[in-house]
Amino acid sequence: MFGSIPLGWLQLKAQKLRLAAAVMGISFAVILIFVQLEFREALSVSAVRYHTAMDYDLAMLSPKTDFMVSSKQFPRARLYQTLGFEEVVSATSVYMRLVSWRNPVNPSNARNILAIGFDPTEPGFEGLLTPAQIEAIKIPDQVIFDQLGRNEYGPVRELLEAGEPVSAEINDRRFAIAGMYRVGTSFGLDGGVITSDLNFLRLLPTRNKSAIDFGLIKLKPGANSAQVQARIRAVIPGDVRLLTRQEFMDLEVQYWNKTTPIGYIFAFGAVMGLIVGLIIVYQILFADVQDHLKEYATLKAMGYTHGYLRNVVLQEAIILGILGFLPGMAIANLVFSKGAAATRLPLEMSVESALGVFVLTLAMCAGSGLMALRKLRSVDPAEVF
Amino acid sequence: MAADAPIFLEDVSYTFGKGALQKQILFDISTQIQAGEICILTGPSGSGKTTLLTLIGALRSAQKGCVQVLDQELNNASEKALIKVRRQIGYIFQTHNLLDSLTIHQNVQMALQLGGIKKKEASSRISAVLERVGLAEHESKYPGQLSGGQKQRAGIARALVNRPRIVLADEPTASLDKQSGRDVVELIQELAREDGAAVILVTHDNRILDVADRILHLEDGRMKSLSEAVSEGTSRMLNLLEKHDPNSANYLATFSFALARIAYADGEVTDSEMSEMRRILHEVAKLESAEVEFIMELSMMQKRAKSGIDNISLNPAFDEDRGKHFLDSLYAIARADGNVSGEEVVEIEAIAAEFGLVREDRTEL
Repeated sequence: MFGSIPLGWLQLKAQKLRLAAAVMGISFAVILIFVQLEFREALSVSAVRYHTAMDYDLAMLSPKTDFMVSSKQFPRARLYQTLGFEEVVSATSVYMRLVSWRNPVNPSNARNILAIGFDPTEPGFEGLLTPAQIEAIKIPDQVIFDQLGRNEYGPVRELLEAGEPVSAEINDRRFAIAGMYRVGTSFGLDGGVITSDLNFLRLLPTRNKSAIDFGLIKLKPGANSAQVQARIRAVIPGDVRLLTRQEFMDLEVQYWNKTTPIGYIFAFGAVMGLIVGLIIVYQILFADVQDHLKEYATLKAMGYTHGYLRNVVLQEAIILGILGFLPGMAIANLVFSKGAAATRLPLEMSVESALGVFVLTLAMCAGSGLMALRKLRSVDPAEVF
Repeated sequence: MAADAPIFLEDVSYTFGKGALQKQILFDISTQIQAGEICILTGPSGSGKTTLLTLIGALRSAQKGCVQVLDQELNNASEKALIKVRRQIGYIFQTHNLLDSLTIHQNVQMALQLGGIKKKEASSRISAVLERVGLAEHESKYPGQLSGGQKQRAGIARALVNRPRIVLADEPTASLDKQSGRDVVELIQELAREDGAAVILVTHDNRILDVADRILHLEDGRMKSLSEAVSEGTSRMLNLLEKHDPNSANYLATFSFALARIAYADGEVTDSEMSEMRRILHEVAKLESAEVEFIMELSMMQKRAKSGIDNISLNPAFDEDRGKHFLDSLYAIARADGNVSGEEVVEIEAIAAEFGLVREDRTEL
């Protein structure tokens, strides 16, 4: 009906204190949902930072490797075997290990850092390092440092940008920082250095050169990864795992989300937020319906349908949802910018997640509204006389 | 069979509850109310007045009988049909029942928007009806800012803005003082007359009974005649007076007896004589105006009997049945002490002759 009275809104507006309480409660729930979901999202996104940055079509790894930072080794010969397939263009050996980094300005402060070594004559790291940096790591005792790592590694970026040479003790050996790349932290990773396979072995003299952590296989343009993967698998023994790019990332995300409790906790937190919101909206709407029972009965006696009253309650629910969502989203954004600065995790609200949480909030409010409506069923118009 | 009466009831019974807890509220109610008629429904609390009103208002369904409102049979009617009927009825509630979060204007609009009337026309109609009930300058206020009488008038505006063919009012004056109550009832009467609506007004406020075209009296769920209701109420009140203030009772009774003999000796009382009598009773006898009215009514009762004698052919009090019952009962009373004496028979025959009642079958005596 055009120009009809927005009864739901007017009823909400008439009780300003209750409206404020409801909006604050819903905002709180929205913040909770946003933060938890975003942390969960950050967990997945950050976990595959290197998986995404490296260039490869198929990845080879040990079947014992659960996630990148705690990789197990496998024989390099397996990787070379794949070169026998005509679609394979290159196979790059990658070494990885958490090593001890001493803060260059405060050497008593040691912290684990991920060291990555690869054969700089092979491709795979063009997305991470510049050609000049790839040349630089061929020089002994030079590494490239992740400038998006945690601040605890020291003011490497500031010093380098100021034009000063920086060196740091890694695993009791002094390395020069020959440049910086950008990857960032994750839940299992605080920072990293990339260098050549030879420098990596200088870092870890006990490591066997022929036992590698990952193999990056590049295929000819247009080759079907899955088909090649199947053909290679049929030939090489089962002591290595061969995954497509997507499978390799899924493995990592799977580990953090399913095998560790972290993903579960965040999902749980988001559900808690949803439940808190549900309860708050339900309480508010229930009290509201309760207060207006007589008025609703009057409306029914006048000839209003149950559907009209249902729409009034749903209207209230949706308005509450919108009013609670907006400040909730604003505060969540604030939390993200603070949190991203403190943790270097990719905390950023995407349009999709904002829309998703908005829909979730509306669904939460509508759901509560529908529960509160059961009270409305009992409205007997005959009771108003 | 409903003719064109907006409200038609036939043998309506209503029972609350189920099984052992069943309680019948209404017994075989039959009546019909015409357009433009104002019908007051009275009766003590719990007599079923409100239940009857909710049946007519399509808010409940009777278990037995026929309730036809605006040509729609309500028993076993669909929810949709019931809602359609409700929309054509204007309700006035005991406690205004306005929506607190809406302005007076919006409250009235709530009723109007059910009819799907265009916004522009709606607005002018709302203003007009609020003007009519004297709330024009209050239309943007909230119910909480108005007095009880104003709220009730707003409720009336809401009920009447759709120009309903039926107006149902449940104790509309219950929460109001005497003057506002009077104003409210007169307003309902006026507005309903203008629109030719059938009005049912439930009340036990005796002060407003005079606006009625017809009075229906309910007692314990049964419709009673007005004479029965009035007799019962009056005799009960007279008993009370006799018990608690016998002197006043005697004084008033004597006064009315004397008045009937003096003033109506010539069997002719004009209106100017009546008002002169009222003035004298009030000023000379120092009676309160209510007491004056009471004495007047008592003496008028006796005058009515006398004028019946003077004007037998025009006396509608005795139809064939009532005349027969009247004489039968007189003989029965005479016989009550064992035998009917000659004096008694002479007296009864004299009365019968006076009232023009002739008894053919006296042989049985």
